Amino acid sequence: MKKIIATALCLMMAGSLMVGCGGEKTTREDAGGGTATAAAAGGESNKVTVDPYSGDQVKIAYVAHDLGTPNNQGWKEGIERECASWDNIKVDSYNAESSAETQVQIMSDVISQKYNAIILQCSDGTALAPSVKQAEEAGIPVITVNLDADTVHSALVMAVDYDAGRMAAEQMAKDIGESGEIAIIQGVPGLKRTDNLEKGFRDTIANYSGIEIVDAQSASFEKETAITVMNSFLQSHPNLKGVFAINDAMAEGAALAAESAGKKGQLSIWGADGEKDALAMIESGDMTGTIYTNSWDEGSTAAKIALLMIGSEYSYNVLEKTPQVIMEPIVVTKDNVASIPEEDRW
Amino acid sequence: MKNINWSKYSKPIILVAFCVILTILRPTTFPTVSNIANVLWSVSVIGIMVCGTIFVFLVGGIDLSIATLCGFSAVVVVEVIHMFGDTTMGVFVGILAAIGVGALAGCVHGLIITTFNIPAFLVTFATQSVFLGLSMVITNNKIVSCTAPAAFTAIGSMKILGFPLPIYFMIVIAVLSWFVLRKTVFGRWIYAVGGNPAASEISGINVKRATILCYVFSGMTTAIGGIVLASMTRQAMAATGSGYTNDVITAGVIGGVSLLGGVGTVPGAIFGAVLMGLLNNGLNLLSVPSTHAGLVKGLVIIIAVGFDAMQHRDQSRKKSGFAFFKKKNA
Repeated sequence: MKKIIATALCLMMAGSLMVGCGGEKTTREDAGGGTATAAAAGGESNKVTVDPYSGDQVKIAYVAHDLGTPNNQGWKEGIERECASWDNIKVDSYNAESSAETQVQIMSDVISQKYNAIILQCSDGTALAPSVKQAEEAGIPVITVNLDADTVHSALVMAVDYDAGRMAAEQMAKDIGESGEIAIIQGVPGLKRTDNLEKGFRDTIANYSGIEIVDAQSASFEKETAITVMNSFLQSHPNLKGVFAINDAMAEGAALAAESAGKKGQLSIWGADGEKDALAMIESGDMTGTIYTNSWDEGSTAAKIALLMIGSEYSYNVLEKTPQVIMEPIVVTKDNVASIPEEDRW
Repeated sequence: MKNINWSKYSKPIILVAFCVILTILRPTTFPTVSNIANVLWSVSVIGIMVCGTIFVFLVGGIDLSIATLCGFSAVVVVEVIHMFGDTTMGVFVGILAAIGVGALAGCVHGLIITTFNIPAFLVTFATQSVFLGLSMVITNNKIVSCTAPAAFTAIGSMKILGFPLPIYFMIVIAVLSWFVLRKTVFGRWIYAVGGNPAASEISGINVKRATILCYVFSGMTTAIGGIVLASMTRQAMAATGSGYTNDVITAGVIGGVSLLGGVGTVPGAIFGAVLMGLLNNGLNLLSVPSTHAGLVKGLVIIIAVGFDAMQHRDQSRKKSGFAFFKKKNA
């Protein structure tokens, strides 16, 4: 179902794009010729149109924020799986190791190597905006994943953020009987996705007069730091009933701290992402729940859009804002965790 | 009063002052056994590692590969446990393998540094990348989780008398290091080599062997830190331990260890680690928002280290006039 929605959205988007650039005349040799020819006689676009599904050589760059994290790996595998059936489509992955500066460098390398499309998890929307614009101007469509760039580009594929925070808040409110003290474990401030998650959570909790957010501390997205932060929460707030961590790794750390304090299963501990380890901890009763997104599906959706863009004759400058595909979020608790099959656990 | 050498006690005084301030500010939450256990637990990995790394600092070296070697040994222990089908036997073999890897890495560092006379900074800078690469290749840059054998998860979180095991490891390793440095001939050699390598060589110390042994011990404690970290988080990945190079070096320097060699003590280094842990704990208990935490942390470290340095400067002035740049040789 998700795939059908995603594909339908892609087609709709492409349709609107083609209408948009209907005025431009583009020429292309027969696919059998195998060679790519410059499109955009209008002169505005440098886009090179090739047909990935008929044997033209195509290469896609995946520029990750940090390949060491499970969702970055999930997207990578999703992209690779999507392209695996075609020998002529090559996927190269680049790792920015959590640095926006490194990512800017990688982007300029990738642009000069004339990749046909770039799938980018944007470390920093502002810092990467010029690189994204440069790529689009060079005729290379950029598809961002989860983290948006502050400039119009071909597409953004994302998991829900604000709504994930809202869903976690509603669930936690239900868990703790709509009253009591709760706390938040934050990531590194300044990332749009995680800021929105926290905002969604706080805005929703504000609707419950009985619930008070008594503390919020950063654990820099790290499991081990979250253990320390959670330990101090448990010290300062002995009546704590729930903890929302902005990502699953930190929620896992919080659950380990609760276990070591002899409070296993007594607190409502929520995360977001839905990585494999978190699902296992929900199964074992250590964690209460998470907002799951299928990262493999997300990666393969990004790849589908990239291939569609490569093969189409559109140019990004007809866009007024970046088109979005939003992945379906699933609220996972102990009751339904078994419904997520092993092959969808990334 | 005049006869008491206060500078000797400046570090404990700082810690006590800290605890008193936090007790006044948070009388119900700070001075509890479980909170003190949490503070020590949170610094135990840094504490374990700095007890070994101090040997390297003392001979005038440095180890920039702490973080990635820690990650690599975490990966080794977890992978070996999986290889043995998550059995207790696997845990023993895994621990031995990881410590072996740490010792081997240290041996390689020591050999390259002493044989080719390349600065430790360069050698360990290069090997940090090698260890990271090895971890990435082995794990395919993915998280390897390990929740199964109880013998493994106990290492990082099992409690004895209310204190988690890593704290006991830290104490044992600290006592061992202190003993070697203070009570053995080898310890005197190390201070001598760091203070003046040329003179040590002439006076018959095998500088090369002493240096290599220091790196081997440092590698072993780093590996133990990695094992504890993997057990605490019940997982290992290439990024396990990232940031620890800075933390360990900072703990050492706060504790009065000189990066030029020859100066520093194990209790000092442990003081540095505990001070950092107390600081983080205090900031958390006082609910200081993360935006302000860095500022407060930096200022407090400057005040604490400044106080400590002042005591020692007064002391050395009394002894030998102005001795700011003078190296103390044990």
